[in-house]
Amino acid sequence: MKRRTFLDVVIAASGAVLGAFVLYPIARYLVPPKSPEAATRRVVAAKQDEVPPGGFKIFPFGGEPGILIRGKDGAYRALSAVCTHLGCTVQLRPDGQSIWCACHNGFYDLEGRNVSGPPPRPLESYVVHVIDGDIVVEKAKSA
Amino acid sequence: MRAALRFTLLAGLLLFGATAAKAAKDSCVECHRGLDEARLRAPTQGFSHDIHAERGLSCAACHGGDPADPEPSAMDPDKGFKGAPTRAQIAPLCASCHANVAFMKRYNPRPYVFSMGEWQTSVHAKLAAQGDAKVATCTSCHGVHGIRPPRDPASPVFKTNVPRTCAKCHNADYMKGHAIRTDQFALYAKSVHGVALLEKGDVSAPACNDCHGNHGAAPPGLKDVAMVCGTCHGREAELFAGSRMKSGMDALGKPGCVTCHGNHGVQQPTDAMLSAAAGGTCAGCHQPGSVAEQGTSAIVANFRELQGSLSTADSLLKLAEVRGMETGPGREGLKAAQDALVGVRAGLHSFDPKQIGAVLTEGAALSRKAMDYGREALRDWHNRRVGMALSLVVILILIGLVVAKIRQIEK
Amino acid sequence: MSASDWLRDRLGLEALDHVIEKKRVPVHRHTFWYYWGGMTLFLFGVQVGTGILLVLYYRPSADEAYESVRFLMTQVSFGWLIRSIHSWSGNLLVGAAMIHMFSAFMLKSYRRPREVTWLTGMALFVLCLAFGFSGYLLPWNQLAFFATKVGTDIMSSVPLVGPFLGRLLRGGDQITGGTLTRFFGFHVAILPLCMTALLGIHLFLVQWHGMSVPPGVEQDTAAPKREMKFVPAFLLRDLVGWLAALGALALLAALFPWELGLKADPYAFAPAGIKPEWYFGYMFQTLRMIPARVFGIEGELLGIVGFGLGALVWALVPFLDAPDGRGPRARVWNVIGVLAMVYVIIFTLLVYRGAGS
Repeated sequence: MKRRTFLDVVIAASGAVLGAFVLYPIARYLVPPKSPEAATRRVVAAKQDEVPPGGFKIFPFGGEPGILIRGKDGAYRALSAVCTHLGCTVQLRPDGQSIWCACHNGFYDLEGRNVSGPPPRPLESYVVHVIDGDIVVEKAKSA
Repeated sequence: MRAALRFTLLAGLLLFGATAAKAAKDSCVECHRGLDEARLRAPTQGFSHDIHAERGLSCAACHGGDPADPEPSAMDPDKGFKGAPTRAQIAPLCASCHANVAFMKRYNPRPYVFSMGEWQTSVHAKLAAQGDAKVATCTSCHGVHGIRPPRDPASPVFKTNVPRTCAKCHNADYMKGHAIRTDQFALYAKSVHGVALLEKGDVSAPACNDCHGNHGAAPPGLKDVAMVCGTCHGREAELFAGSRMKSGMDALGKPGCVTCHGNHGVQQPTDAMLSAAAGGTCAGCHQPGSVAEQGTSAIVANFRELQGSLSTADSLLKLAEVRGMETGPGREGLKAAQDALVGVRAGLHSFDPKQIGAVLTEGAALSRKAMDYGREALRDWHNRRVGMALSLVVILILIGLVVAKIRQIEK
Repeated sequence: MSASDWLRDRLGLEALDHVIEKKRVPVHRHTFWYYWGGMTLFLFGVQVGTGILLVLYYRPSADEAYESVRFLMTQVSFGWLIRSIHSWSGNLLVGAAMIHMFSAFMLKSYRRPREVTWLTGMALFVLCLAFGFSGYLLPWNQLAFFATKVGTDIMSSVPLVGPFLGRLLRGGDQITGGTLTRFFGFHVAILPLCMTALLGIHLFLVQWHGMSVPPGVEQDTAAPKREMKFVPAFLLRDLVGWLAALGALALLAALFPWELGLKADPYAFAPAGIKPEWYFGYMFQTLRMIPARVFGIEGELLGIVGFGLGALVWALVPFLDAPDGRGPRARVWNVIGVLAMVYVIIFTLLVYRGAGS
């Protein structure tokens, strides 16, 4: 066994520092981030009871706004909030009976069908799951 | 006389209907189709796509006569032949079927029923009653012998063709001698509505008839202009209707919407309009430094500040992107802030500092969040470089030490 | 009994003694080139490590691949670092492999008894290119999509087997999500398996035959035969090189992070200036410059066949060159080697100068 020189000690120490520089990012990387997956197919739109019955919330979904509506009976619906006319963000009317785009007075029913005004197409519908107190919105499976 | 006319027509139609069911020959079309004189041949050429012909109504339905008779004796007044109607007779002739609910329902359970009363409120009908021979009547817009329904894109009254159809008469040449403006089509074609309809084909954009009406075409009254615009621009109209600006304009006899935005030539509003200095729209009535301007100066200042902060947020995010940092969530936040700005622009129509102020504050908060994201991205970028530099220092030191070790071993 | 003695007893570590004590590396003016095999191996190790980490977050489906890479780069701690290192190290790996191959060629390391080492080496090089090609598509961005399309189209034009090969690679007649899944399977399972097997053989053979000495050095009987011990002298020098490579990777990942690009859209027009990765550049550039028809044969076909034959000749050099590496035949092969290097360098650079159409 060779004698441990000062050089050996210093090399070992520097090697350990380099090892830390390599292992620290890897360790941090392995720890899952806040949201476990990219929010493009499904996203937590709101917490249970965050949206009162008759109310709505605009939430970000895959780079575009979505609208989460809670009916008077407490049931949730989610749709794309991008108006199919010129792309403004839609909202729920105060009476909770229709979805309205303030830009050019376009109206949609609660199913997202374009019923009045300029919008040429319905709003895309999403699927809503209530899981453990989270309202999870997911893109509908293509046919 | 009109009743007799109507009766004759109905009788002729029923007869013809019966004969049409047997696909009997139509002597009018057969004969006229082969004539040398173009003027007499022309009516048969549009018949292949004519909506009346498709429904089994042919020449005799409007002109009378006997379609079963192959001789010129078919055009006998005793057989109901009326020849070509005069200009003044056209509207009543068309109305004799189109204003008759029972008749129209034979062809469509939910028919459009022409209203003679509505027609008579129009400027066209009024001038015609005064004897004007150049003014529009049914055939001017719909055509005569090759009429297509309005839903057919080749029809002169299809949505995207309406402006050009109106401009056939509403131009400087045709209107010579009349004291009427003739720049409407030119202005409209360059307006945001005209570009949307004529260039982009967006049929939700208004054409002449959406603001002026169809058969009851007339310029909207001063009080009604805001209603017209408000059909689509509901939010702005709603806010404006409750504003002090409206009552001020009413007192001065100025129409809402049009005073600031124009009518035929309306352009996309710019934020530069919001100023009482030269070039701004407010300068049309308000002096710089006036009470009105002072009252709104805070809003204008905050509005410009919001725009500024949005553009700063955008630059920060762009800088981060150029440096290779990903900025997706920051961009989403900026979009929300830009949505708020759209809300502010609509909210300006209330001319109410408190209301506008609330939306401005919301927009400013969102914009700040986007800016913060951009700044954090740039901080991260900086940190990465620092981390890299540190790790390089360690590596270089280690390389030096290993080289020293090699030297030591080989000594 | 110490810990190391206990392990020795149980793991048969005596076998290593030979390497540690006895293995020697010749020292001469060309010793520098001996390090490049180890460099290639180190970079491959980096690829395996970073690749395994990436696989924890990456999703191999057309709907999710791009988004998962974006997620990795923005939401996962140091995800940007792992990904950028993986991309850069892949490129450095192919570069190191090329240097290793060309230096082995010029030093005539393929002479008897090392012919099989050379052949396995050639196969390993092709595997590296396959790794690069399959990995490039995985982020599913515009550039990768269209570059893969061009690449598979060229492969499909190989005579006889081309169309079948193209369908096998693409999983169909077009590049689709099915292609992505297939490429992922190649990249993380099939290719690593082949690589491990071939690498095992290659490394064993290098170990068994020892380091080859170039003909020029062999001939030089006047100079003393110097050697260094593999452990620790050569290994420590290897380590210096590997540390330098690590530093280079840190520098590149931080200063020139690998971009994400735009998500692939099969129905959009191909973006202007699609190029394959630089290590395919010289082939790409050559094909671009061949006229459409040469003596009645389609230009591209001629190019592909040319490359095939060229690669075959290159691979068979152990059997074509003079056995002792000396004499006129050997000099001819030296010239061929130099010409090949010059050709690759110039044509790779031409891609970036935008020459050809």
